[in-house]
Amino acid sequence: MHISVKDNLKRDKSARAGLAIIAVLILFSMITPFFSGNPEAFSRSIFLRPGLNNILGTNDLGQDIFSRLAHGLRTSLMVSIGVGVIATSISLLMGVSSGFIGGIYDIIVMRIIDAFLVMPSIIILILLSVFIRPATVTMIILISLLCWPEGARIIRGQTLALKEKRHIYSARTFGAKKTYILFRHIIPDLGNIIVVSFIHNARTAVFLEAGMAFIGISSITTISLGTIMHNAFKFYYLPVWLWWFLPPGILLSMILLSFTFLGNLMEKLIDPRLNNA
Amino acid sequence: MLEIRNLNISYGSKKIIKDLSFELGSREIIAVVGESGTGKTTLALSIMGLLSQQSGDASVSGEILFGETDICRIREPDLRLLRWKRISMVFQNADNILNPTMTIYQQISELTGKNRDGSSIREMLATVSFPVSRINAYPHQLSIGERQKALVAMAYILKPDLVILDEPTSSLDPDARVKIISTIKKLSRDRAVLLVTHDLGTARSLSEKTMVLYGGDIVEMGPTEKIFSGPRHPYTRGLIRSYPGMDRTKDLQGIRGKAEFIETGCPFHPRCTQSIDICRLLKPVLKEYGGLKLACHRGGIIPMLEMRDIRKSYNKNNVLESVSFKIYEGETVGLLGKSGSGKTTLARIIMGLLEKDAGEVYLEEEPVKKWDAGFYSRVQMIFQDVRSSVSHRLNILDAVMEPLVIQKKVNRTDNITAVKKVLTEVELPSDENFLYGYPHHLSGGELQRVIIARALILSPRVLIADEPTSFLDPSIQAKVLKLLNRLQEDRGLGILFITHDPGVARKVSDRILRLDEGIIKNERLN
Repeated sequence: MHISVKDNLKRDKSARAGLAIIAVLILFSMITPFFSGNPEAFSRSIFLRPGLNNILGTNDLGQDIFSRLAHGLRTSLMVSIGVGVIATSISLLMGVSSGFIGGIYDIIVMRIIDAFLVMPSIIILILLSVFIRPATVTMIILISLLCWPEGARIIRGQTLALKEKRHIYSARTFGAKKTYILFRHIIPDLGNIIVVSFIHNARTAVFLEAGMAFIGISSITTISLGTIMHNAFKFYYLPVWLWWFLPPGILLSMILLSFTFLGNLMEKLIDPRLNNA
Repeated sequence: MLEIRNLNISYGSKKIIKDLSFELGSREIIAVVGESGTGKTTLALSIMGLLSQQSGDASVSGEILFGETDICRIREPDLRLLRWKRISMVFQNADNILNPTMTIYQQISELTGKNRDGSSIREMLATVSFPVSRINAYPHQLSIGERQKALVAMAYILKPDLVILDEPTSSLDPDARVKIISTIKKLSRDRAVLLVTHDLGTARSLSEKTMVLYGGDIVEMGPTEKIFSGPRHPYTRGLIRSYPGMDRTKDLQGIRGKAEFIETGCPFHPRCTQSIDICRLLKPVLKEYGGLKLACHRGGIIPMLEMRDIRKSYNKNNVLESVSFKIYEGETVGLLGKSGSGKTTLARIIMGLLEKDAGEVYLEEEPVKKWDAGFYSRVQMIFQDVRSSVSHRLNILDAVMEPLVIQKKVNRTDNITAVKKVLTEVELPSDENFLYGYPHHLSGGELQRVIIARALILSPRVLIADEPTSFLDPSIQAKVLKLLNRLQEDRGLGILFITHDPGVARKVSDRILRLDEGIIKNERLN
């Protein structure tokens, strides 16, 4: 009856698939750059078809697409995980503190969140990007700053509901201090919301980052899946899209798919009731 | 009439009566009650002078003054003048007291003397409603009840000054019991009676004064009505609680442990649920407490929790207006009230989960200033909805252990042992499979027991139970109520049992309070 990650993985096919995909993607993005050569290196052999030297052929500048793909994947993963972590942390901090402390603090935080929510975040992001031309780290920070309010709002609501739960009351009647209740009950009880929020933020980040790159307003020096697609899109009339445009698209879908699968697994690990053991 | 001073009786090294002193007025009826083996019969026999001559291995010291005579010191021939003429006795066990070779008439006339005519004997037998037609029957031809009546007639026929009745009604059916009690009452009008019995009903209806004996000591003594309606000593309460009176609605409860003769300290301390260190070391002396004499270091059953003038309102809407009551150690107070009458509000105020507008909560007679770990280790609560009062993330082990972890008792091995012990106490399994299971695997009844176990793991003295069985079906409810009853017997828990069901309240409560429009009203149990 123990809840173990291993047992859950054994039972859950989609979780295994999710884990496998993400593992392969991470491995791919980490190892490939070591042997696939410099993604920035120009050559005269442009628009090569996939072959032995260039697995996915070359682009209009004679750069190895495969190598660029690996680097681009790296950027996407970094942005998604980075935003997931940062945005969710801010959501958690603001949401829990607001719900738990209450009073004037709660009112102020909620108004800030409202202010963020009414702003059209994608337009702001586009406008900022046009000026800043953000590289990876800046991109992570920018997206995080725009993503956290939504999660914070949900987490605050849930914290308020949890505070009134009987098991929290029970813990208080055992003499528990506020910190105990916060760290042993409320935050763990928020687990599935935190996971959902993390996955949501990570997915949004992958989309936004790729989107910014695709419309060509992120840093031109950063190789990302979006940039690759942006460049490939210019040559839609050539058959090169098959090995230039499709692979980054497929990779993007794979990232999103694996995040979803993992999200389900995490939820089960946190909530024993979802375990049909 | 009879005065006993520092009476000590022992059989070998076993002290049966310890330093007993009391007085019996010339027209007084005193009942001596207690469990078997507390020295009641020994006391009776010693007054008859049947032990004072060092007969057998009993040794008697002290004084038994009957008028001017000390029964312990006079010689046997003088005693013979007293016996039956001035002190008579109805012996326990009517079966083998009468001589099987003599008729009833013969046996009684042995007392009255052959020269008296039989009319007084007949008259007396008629008074005790013995069938006079059977006056020449042998004891074996009579029923036990008839033999008992003959014995009573024998005890009263010489109009003695003092009658000792040792279980005079134990072998009678209820009808005969009522009759003989009224007869004894009539016959005892102008004499002193010492009634020795474990039948509290008889004691209550016959005596004016009651003396509760435990381990050869008087633990409580006073006017009978006062003792029966509000016993102060935990032992007396235990006796009354185990007696199936007709007006009793709460389930019977015994007294934990068994009677043992204790040399030092209070004789009752090993079985007492409120004993403290001093009870083990020092024997309490009989002291006056509000019209009763009591031998208890703690001054009798202590009030565990007290509410004084608690007030609470929500948005100017008065929910509790001046709520005051006490919960004594080992007592269940039923709190009845309609939904929305403020029962749960009151429970939360007691537990410090809700701020009160005014009033004080007292725990063991100290005002509660801060609801801290110390308070919660003595007062625990069972919440209404069992499913939601355990975190779904915690397995049974962690859930039951949580109070210990919070109270910083962090040695995990010890904690697991404690969890297993308390689970066994609430009749749940304590194997690995159960411990590592999750709340949603359990049935409502099992989960309710888990919650009770969790509340008990800190060994609280008071339990606030807010509708603890409202989610259970009747058969499981019965089991849980029985469990609470037993836990109360074992641990001396004071329980505030909050319910909207009068039937349940009657079955579990010693007292019932009704919360109506924010005011507490006392409710009769029957």
